[in-house]
Amino acid sequence: MIYALYVIVSVICIYTARHYWFTLNRLFGFQRHPYIDIDTADWPPVTVLVAAHNEEKVVANILSALMTVKYPADNMLVIPVNDRSTDRTREIIDEFVERFPGRIRPFHRKDGKGGKAAALKDAMELVDTEVILIFDADYIPGAGLVKQLTAPFFDPEVGGVMGRVVPMNCGTNLLTRLLDLERSGGYQVDQQARMNLRLVPQHGGTVAGVRLSALREIGGWNDTSLTEDTDLTYRLLLHGWKTVYQNRSECYEEVPETWPVRIKQIKRWAKGHNQAMVTYGLHLLLGKHRASLRERIDGTLLLGVYIMAPFTLVGWVLALGVFYQGVAPLHGIVAILSVTAYAAIGNLAAFFEIAAAVRLDGSRKRVCLVPFLILGFAVSIFAVSWAAVSQVKDALTGAEFHWDKTERFRKAAS
Amino acid sequence: MNPFFAVVGLILLTSALMVLPLVPALVELHSKSDALPLSVIQQHTGEIRFFADGFRSYMTGLQPALQECVKSGTHTTGTMSDGSEYLVLGRGEEALFLPFRERNEFNPVIIASGSDLLLPSETNFSKDIYSAGSVIGGTNNRYRAILAEKDIRLGRESSVMRWVHAVGEFSADPGCQLYGRVSSDTGIRLSEECSFLRLNAPYIAIGPDADPAQNYAEIPGVETTTKRLLHDGDFEIRADEVFLGNLVVRGRLRIGSGARVCGSVKSDKELVLEPGASVEGSLISASIMQIGPHCRIGGPVIAERTVLLQQGTRCGTMQNPTTVSAPNIQVEPGVVVFGTLWARDQGQAVAKL
Repeated sequence: MIYALYVIVSVICIYTARHYWFTLNRLFGFQRHPYIDIDTADWPPVTVLVAAHNEEKVVANILSALMTVKYPADNMLVIPVNDRSTDRTREIIDEFVERFPGRIRPFHRKDGKGGKAAALKDAMELVDTEVILIFDADYIPGAGLVKQLTAPFFDPEVGGVMGRVVPMNCGTNLLTRLLDLERSGGYQVDQQARMNLRLVPQHGGTVAGVRLSALREIGGWNDTSLTEDTDLTYRLLLHGWKTVYQNRSECYEEVPETWPVRIKQIKRWAKGHNQAMVTYGLHLLLGKHRASLRERIDGTLLLGVYIMAPFTLVGWVLALGVFYQGVAPLHGIVAILSVTAYAAIGNLAAFFEIAAAVRLDGSRKRVCLVPFLILGFAVSIFAVSWAAVSQVKDALTGAEFHWDKTERFRKAAS
Repeated sequence: MNPFFAVVGLILLTSALMVLPLVPALVELHSKSDALPLSVIQQHTGEIRFFADGFRSYMTGLQPALQECVKSGTHTTGTMSDGSEYLVLGRGEEALFLPFRERNEFNPVIIASGSDLLLPSETNFSKDIYSAGSVIGGTNNRYRAILAEKDIRLGRESSVMRWVHAVGEFSADPGCQLYGRVSSDTGIRLSEECSFLRLNAPYIAIGPDADPAQNYAEIPGVETTTKRLLHDGDFEIRADEVFLGNLVVRGRLRIGSGARVCGSVKSDKELVLEPGASVEGSLISASIMQIGPHCRIGGPVIAERTVLLQQGTRCGTMQNPTTVSAPNIQVEPGVVVFGTLWARDQGQAVAKL
């Protein structure tokens, strides 16, 4: 029992050090934005895929925004991927097709396998451009975003691009404010630090882009994956393609406004991530491929982020067990000093990261809400652990994964 | 003391201590003083002409006075609606003789001219300047911003702090320092020892002899391909060799004299293009890039540390402008960039690299 606890504590310490490394890099390190200055170029043809499943509340907003972006209109085709919608999504898309002839080519999917990856896979029959951008229907791209996300593809090593997601409904309630803080930490610090340190920025599957030839080389969209973005990140990496992060390519999104929706969302992310960990983890760390040593280590740690929740719970149980057994690990005094030191520094690592991110964003008062993140942390740790347990159960019983769409809260555009 | 009250008191005190660190959070949650979404630039796209366009709109309020002064050949002063003082000149050469032109004098007025504007030397212009014609500046001047509907020429050792836009050609004599944005709808010509940050124009020529209109023999086209070669370690394309497809090198890359790459190129370390080499696509380096002399690049040129452009090198074409960007850029006379030349930290036109 004590050795299992040592292992868990060691892994937690690695993640703690990682949080501090990323945060200090963002605060004091060299910041890489190599492609953001490309403002004049022979812009290549681009296809913009908009994944939409029952998105009548939001799809008009993104199509309107895409029709006003500053990108050569002749070189940009928007394909709304209407995935088996049963609401007014199809009708709204068709109205836009009529209003903007030649600029929008709808893909109405009536049946087939569920899930975003499966829909995108089917829509690929309409795509013939080397650069593909992907947005979820609840996003609102700004005027310069398409150019910014396309610019990195001038680099022939880049297979995927990820922009920054900014919650637009952050002021709604405590949950949205906490998610706003989490997003800030995840993008402003985590993703940008990975970009700075030439590690593994993660493809988010929305506000994102992928190179067609890279996608073909890795075998296209994986419709068996619950998180096609994570899956894509690792397949690109294993084939020698880079995913780059553009911190200044920002786009508004809608975050969940109720806890059940949030729990459902994070459970899906956890399952998808764990699925990728099982599929690619060992091969990434030890296999023969084109990733560098630092990418192997960081990529493996990134794959493990969701499994850390059940891992931590097990650690708590083991620590209690050790305590009640009367075992004094490391001669007692060392253990007390270690626990005290960790309580003083280690526990704060993730919160420090978020506070630094909020500060980098130039926000002042919202940093006051950081203590409430403990609530989001508590909910996440149990939801993610439950997802892991049910995933194991599904694997043992042979149950199929199913994809849950995240509910929208915006009022439909009139 | 009653034990009941003692216990209740202890519980209340402990609860208060627990809640105390959460007070700022509770106040913010209730007051929502910082609950708006982060400001994301939705409308403008970092256009280099953003400030110039804004200033042109701002100057529309002065158009009646400008026309009046041009008609009468006089000058006038006044105050804009936001409180800024202005000086409107009917004849641009008046600026040379007006009383404010004491050496090193601080000129906190917006200057607007209805015709070509001639500015005295050794003067600080701390407010924006507008000319309906050209602007010809004296030597060793300090400008905040200039907008001209025709050409702009800055005298030796002058500097611009924020932005310049010329509808005609912009040119800077030796030793000028151009902080901020410099743009032209026609072209930009920099002399030796000029420093710059962000330039944009149909052509950017370095030195008096750089000729953007010079035609080069068209290289016969080849079939395009998305094929990619990924090479671990150093790599060399030999002189006069033709490479088809994209090339990614995770070491140093040398492209030999007269070699041609029909695709884009990336190297993780130093990238050297020897004389006369050409790359039809983009040229990317995670380190230092040395290009030239007499190389031709079709697509964007991006280096994460330094770009050195040697004489006679051309980036982009008039029909297909491009971007050259790096933290540090040094360019020799004879270089022409069509589009954008953007040095994050420092750009310098040098006599010889």
